[in-house]
Amino acid sequence: MSENPSIIALLGNPNSGKSTLFNALTGKNQRVGNYAGVTVEVKSGETYTPHGKKLHVLDLPGCYSLRTDAGSPDEQIALDALTGKLDGIAKPDLVVCVVDASNLERHLQLVLQVIELGLPCVLALNMVDVAEKSGLRLDPAKLSEELGIPVVPMQANASKGIIELKQALRHPFPHASEVSWLTQTDNLETNRRAFVASLCELAARRPDSQQRNFTDRLDSILLHPFLGWVAFLAIMFILFWSIFSFASIPMDFIDSALGSFGEWVNAMMPEGDLRSLLVDGVIGGVGGVLVFLPQILLLFFFIGLLESSGYMSRAAFLMDHVMAKAGLSGKAFLPLFSSYACAIPGVMATRTIDSAKERLVTIFVAPWMSCSARLPVYFLIIPLLLHENEGTWKQALVLFCIYTLGTLTAFLAARILRGKLGPDKIVRHFMLELPPYRRPQWSYVFRHVLDRGWAFVRKAGTIILGLSILLWALKTYPKSDSTDPGEVLAHSAMGRIGELIEPVVKPLGFDGRTGTAILTSFAAREVFVSSIAIIFSVEETDDDVKNRSLIRAKMQTATWPDGRPLFTSMSLISLLVFFIYALQCLPTTAVVARESGSWKWAVGQFAFMSGFAYLASWLIFQTGSLLGF
Amino acid sequence: MTTRQPSQRQLTLNEVSLNCDVRISSLNGPACDRLRDLGFCEQMQLRKISNGRNLVCTVCGAKMAISRELAEQVLVDPIR
Repeated sequence: MSENPSIIALLGNPNSGKSTLFNALTGKNQRVGNYAGVTVEVKSGETYTPHGKKLHVLDLPGCYSLRTDAGSPDEQIALDALTGKLDGIAKPDLVVCVVDASNLERHLQLVLQVIELGLPCVLALNMVDVAEKSGLRLDPAKLSEELGIPVVPMQANASKGIIELKQALRHPFPHASEVSWLTQTDNLETNRRAFVASLCELAARRPDSQQRNFTDRLDSILLHPFLGWVAFLAIMFILFWSIFSFASIPMDFIDSALGSFGEWVNAMMPEGDLRSLLVDGVIGGVGGVLVFLPQILLLFFFIGLLESSGYMSRAAFLMDHVMAKAGLSGKAFLPLFSSYACAIPGVMATRTIDSAKERLVTIFVAPWMSCSARLPVYFLIIPLLLHENEGTWKQALVLFCIYTLGTLTAFLAARILRGKLGPDKIVRHFMLELPPYRRPQWSYVFRHVLDRGWAFVRKAGTIILGLSILLWALKTYPKSDSTDPGEVLAHSAMGRIGELIEPVVKPLGFDGRTGTAILTSFAAREVFVSSIAIIFSVEETDDDVKNRSLIRAKMQTATWPDGRPLFTSMSLISLLVFFIYALQCLPTTAVVARESGSWKWAVGQFAFMSGFAYLASWLIFQTGSLLGF
Repeated sequence: MTTRQPSQRQLTLNEVSLNCDVRISSLNGPACDRLRDLGFCEQMQLRKISNGRNLVCTVCGAKMAISRELAEQVLVDPIR
């Protein structure tokens, strides 16, 4: 026996419960969803046998087959991991084949392919509760006898059968089973299917008539050509409404807590650069990001709920028709939908898309789905445009038009780009498993939400922190003797940059001060509001609405040096259009680089979107000005 | 892999009426192997439960949504 821990690989069809079993065995928090293709890379963890021997556990991506011509990257990864061809991962000593007991005819095909590879194998007969409820008569002993491998009935989501499985993983491992279904003359695939059919006849007999279960009854509404859409729109409306309304309570709390903390630091420290750095740079900058945390957490909670319950694949099924108009499939719906809250999880969710080209296109257009960070900017500008106070139906209509414009442009760009990239080498038709509806696994949903929330704070927070300090330094140095914040800013490096870029932004209807505020918002869009406040010397208060109204009052009276008003209707529309299209979010660019595997793609996206935003704003402003608006 | 050619014209899965139980007689087209991986094997019983751009059917106790192009490659015999 070697000193290194033995390697156990978990393999099975998508949505057979591998990740749930992996979590139960290793105590890890691997993402679980009632949605095929949640695991997209090999994950590893450790567990112990009942005798205390350490085992290294690999969670392989779900696959339907181990055929090399299947073309799916997940299946290639799984095959490479099993044959020891994957870099840094040794060949497993034992494979635990996880199968859905209610679906053996399909899942056993993969088990036979693993046995054909000559690997020792244990069969984890998962979801026996679902199988029994559907009237299936299972005979695990017969199954074990026919296959020649240990079979462990279990229910991984309720941690039932885990101890029995660990017993089956004790040393010595079972030997590789004989391949009894292979004959010399016949086709291997045909033999395999015939063997599975006979096996199911013996050990997993289905009731003669198909019963209508809960999932069927619910699907008759949720997949209905008309009612399905009503339900879909209602669910999406509730989701958005909840994100915006429930999140405002903790957001206000975080905002006021950070404000009080800033005041406390202000009072405790002597006046100077260090205090300014901490209060204006660090607390102000990082706080600008932290304030969006509740929305991110709520979005992930709802996505977790929809995935875990089994609805997400129905939504993808319904939306396939709409997404096809943009040259995408239903699987692109979830990533684009997530991007309305934040493009970062949206870009990460593209991993479930099979086609590499479709995935790239989805990543490319995702930032055009208006994210929540743009909202503070919209809330500032729209009332100014309409000469109203905040909160009228006309403003809601403008906001709706802004969302629609972003979405339609994203779809149009996706269609053009999809056409340019050409068809996939392997034609991929839409195929999606619609899992049975299940009660959400709350523990996993909440652990996933916390995990994602922490990742957001850590990743976005570090980048924003660095940039906040940099922006603070640019705004502060070189110092001026004046006490007027506007003059201090004009004297600073940032002010000088503004002067420098004025010729560039003037064709869009902006002066150097607005240009400077836009420049600062390239780190994060919401920074625009606080930059405008600093530039136009607005005294900040604790109330956001009051703040914005004070800023608007200053903006309304701002003029060009010749006395013309600075913010006309056309320059405000031009500003809105710029914010709809520009990719002003460095964390998104970093995530795009990681997910697309290329900085070239990420930088290209940034340059294209910024260029497009500039051109669109220019076109709007110049056309409007020519027409006399 | 292409299996036996039907001697007379058979129904494809697209042509089957809703909620109708059928048995797969053969698969004919480039995506045969992929369809078999998904459970659409010869002699397997299935029920079509939704029509449209993509269709939904139950096969081997699982619900699968497949495109019409794939359904065109599944040749079936009605059970009743």
